[in-house]
Amino acid sequence: MRAHSSALTRGLALTAGLVLTLAACSSGGGGGSGGTKGTSAGLTSCATEGKADTCNSGTTKAGGTFTYVIEKNIQQWNVQDTNGNTFENAEALSPVLPQVYVPQPDFSVKLNTDLVTSATQTSASPQTIVYKINPKASWNDGTAITADDFVYYWRTNDGKDCPPPPASDSTQTKGCLPESTAGYDRIKSVTGSDNGKTVTVVMAKPYADWKSLFGAGYPFYPAHVAEKVSGATAGDAAHMTAAQMTQGWQYFQKNPPTKYATAGPYKMTEWVDNDHATYEPDPKWTGKKATLQRLIFKVISDATQEPIALRNNEVQGIYPQPEVDLVNQVKAIPNVTYTIGSGLTWEHFDLNLHNPVIGKYLALRQAMFTAISVKDIMAKTVAQFDPGVKQLYNHNFVPGTAGYKDVVSASGQGSGDLTKAKKYLTDAKFTGVGTALKSPDGKTVGPFNCRYTTGNQIRQSECQILQSDLANLGIKVTIKPIGAADLGTVLAGHQYDIIVFAWVASPFAISGAQQLWTTGAGGNYGGYSNKQVDSLISTAIGETDQTKAAALLNQADQIMVNDAYVLPLYQKPTFLAVQTRFVNMRNNSTNVGPPYNVGEWGLKK
Amino acid sequence: MLAYTVRRILVSIPVLIVSTFIVFLVVVNSGDPVANFATSRQPPPSKAAVTAFARHIHADQPAVERYWNWITGVLHGDWGPSVQPNLDIGHDLFTRFRVTVTLVAAAMLLALVMSIVFGVFSAIRQYSAADYTITFLGFLFLAMPVFWFAVLLKQAGIWFNQETGSQFLGTIGEKSPYLEVDTTWNEFTDRVGHLILPTITLALVSFASWTRYTRASMLEVLDSDYVRLARAKGLRRGRVLTRHALRTALIPLATVTALDIAIILGGAVITETIFQWHGMGEMLVQAATTLDVYRTMAWLLLSAVVVIVFNLFADLLYAVLDPRIRYD
Repeated sequence: MRAHSSALTRGLALTAGLVLTLAACSSGGGGGSGGTKGTSAGLTSCATEGKADTCNSGTTKAGGTFTYVIEKNIQQWNVQDTNGNTFENAEALSPVLPQVYVPQPDFSVKLNTDLVTSATQTSASPQTIVYKINPKASWNDGTAITADDFVYYWRTNDGKDCPPPPASDSTQTKGCLPESTAGYDRIKSVTGSDNGKTVTVVMAKPYADWKSLFGAGYPFYPAHVAEKVSGATAGDAAHMTAAQMTQGWQYFQKNPPTKYATAGPYKMTEWVDNDHATYEPDPKWTGKKATLQRLIFKVISDATQEPIALRNNEVQGIYPQPEVDLVNQVKAIPNVTYTIGSGLTWEHFDLNLHNPVIGKYLALRQAMFTAISVKDIMAKTVAQFDPGVKQLYNHNFVPGTAGYKDVVSASGQGSGDLTKAKKYLTDAKFTGVGTALKSPDGKTVGPFNCRYTTGNQIRQSECQILQSDLANLGIKVTIKPIGAADLGTVLAGHQYDIIVFAWVASPFAISGAQQLWTTGAGGNYGGYSNKQVDSLISTAIGETDQTKAAALLNQADQIMVNDAYVLPLYQKPTFLAVQTRFVNMRNNSTNVGPPYNVGEWGLKK
Repeated sequence: MLAYTVRRILVSIPVLIVSTFIVFLVVVNSGDPVANFATSRQPPPSKAAVTAFARHIHADQPAVERYWNWITGVLHGDWGPSVQPNLDIGHDLFTRFRVTVTLVAAAMLLALVMSIVFGVFSAIRQYSAADYTITFLGFLFLAMPVFWFAVLLKQAGIWFNQETGSQFLGTIGEKSPYLEVDTTWNEFTDRVGHLILPTITLALVSFASWTRYTRASMLEVLDSDYVRLARAKGLRRGRVLTRHALRTALIPLATVTALDIAIILGGAVITETIFQWHGMGEMLVQAATTLDVYRTMAWLLLSAVVVIVFNLFADLLYAVLDPRIRYD
């Protein structure tokens, strides 16, 4: 009898424990108060206009360990390389490698004065930029940062001095594959003077986004290390051979920065593959000293586990893609502050112009985009956890950036105006409007498929709303998910009629536009082609006046809107949550991420 | 038995070749990693980069040729190129195998101990409240999704840490990235603290079914003539149970345990993902989501070998434990 009751007691205790745990899960516990507009205490002001770069500021005291989550392992450490060009790599290199202009949370760029005291365009023709390197700037092995580092950067990224691997090279190791040659391929010369501390860059062709050169998320690697490992003459990057540059390029691909000289507020002391990087303040850093005792970047590849790790104090900062459940979990964690911001990643519907019907009839495309209600889409998806989300009205700029201008709303696209949408069709002699749409030549329009990546509930809902909106025009839409790893196959193979996915805008929108909208460009999957647009973008890239360049780009965008190729929906929300005992972390949704100012992170004084 | 063992090993070789070939074809045709590479980066890579990538992963070769190169390469220690840059698949595989073995061994041990204790107890107290409770819990764990139970356990672990003011139970990884006081003892307790929750999660996958096996087997043995005879001859109940009944009752469990290795490895995929253990399970998930053909094949080959070895081990174990079984 005793044994029976003992076993029963244990069983009931376990069951009760499970029930209690369930209750704890559902109630979420006490703690962190949810503020208005998706923010809480420490990061509250981040959502206020003009505060993005200064919110959550505070004086720090020495000590403390801060563990920040990165969501992917880093296999390749050369972020300038096509294969190493990942967000996580850019984040992990921020504490140790310098760059000229650093993208800020408000999407502007800020000169890194620890590296260069000035960067000035001294002439428009030929376009000439002069960089004055900070006299104190040096790598932590004592080698000064000089013009040689600029020369090495330029020559490995221009696509000519260190060309891509030849066709016969199956190992992909006999050449440089920069993530982009934009701008570097327009440089005529990079020369040093003043003992290598003044760098003069002369452009062969003007380049509007010159501030993206030598930085903007792609930092310097030490030229003297590349020269040493390749056997080149020290301090003479200008005469390195392609083979020598390749050796340096490969070295930086394969080796984490624990192995070579760096120049940042931290030095990386340990890299455990697929697990974490450990950083400690670099005593040889000539800029402002970091105050944290230790900084750790921990790899957690499943975003749903991040709030749990934060709650268990295993990590102190997370930057996952927000979802309703995840945000609610973080809200319930005590002593954690969070913010939801509008990122540079923007969601959009794309039409495949390779589809003979969609490609042929402009009125059909205009009607389809006009019938879609973006407000309805947002209300039923992202607005549920980000009430401040707004419709995006530009294909290149986002609100807050200098060139942003509403080029969409006047067209009625995304308004859900069914009357206007139907008028487009009837004016163009379509029949069966609202019932079973037929083209002017009597053929049935559709059914079209709407494709989204499987498992993405938000995009599934977006396709469902589109399906409903287009049904009002008499167009049948089937919803077809894409396998988790098949988005590339579907895009490159044009295996869609309508697709919803996201682009990452750049603080340097002009060069980005060329890759997405010009005829035959790598990112122009839907086959859009308009000579006027090509010409305007090409002119914008060569325009040295930023305001004029932005105006040209917006002019091209207006034409693109009229052509109804891509319908912008909204900026995808970003989400930063950190423990309140730390300060100076901010939501930077550019390609460098929150670690853009990692040297300032610290324990609140 | 030696001849039988050698015969079984020889038979398993064509089984491995045929199964890997079929799976290779399926994996190769399940998606296009080159298109994925070309479209998943921004700015999009140049055509030269895309071509170089295709060559690097051998996507420009016919599938049969790729399989032949792969299988012959494996025999020479070359596991093929990964879509991940700089990744040595062989090194990755065996590093991760060690991680998974740690987790699976701990989980199997815990599941075995628990299933024997609860199964035997349930059998000797048949139809008691304890038996019903254990039966209920057994079916509950059997029906409970692993991912859900793992999350519950994590929450319970956090509650434990908060109540004790410690950081003993870890919810991510095999160990902490750093220890304030780095001693051997602290490292040991840190590893144990990280092992507990995933071990319980993985163990409960098998515990539920193994308890039922043990209970049923024990009941059958307790009802047999030789046990009744032993009791009739005046042997004490405890001695009859431990010396006579238990050994016979455990024979089916021993074979089921060895055969269940595939299920446990499958469970490890979910458990490792949730607890962020960088083992074989995580490797499969990463390989599948990045269309990494050779990495997927490496996982499948090693898993297939493990399953074949454990199947053979189960058959041999059966013969060792049961004198009535003899292999010629």
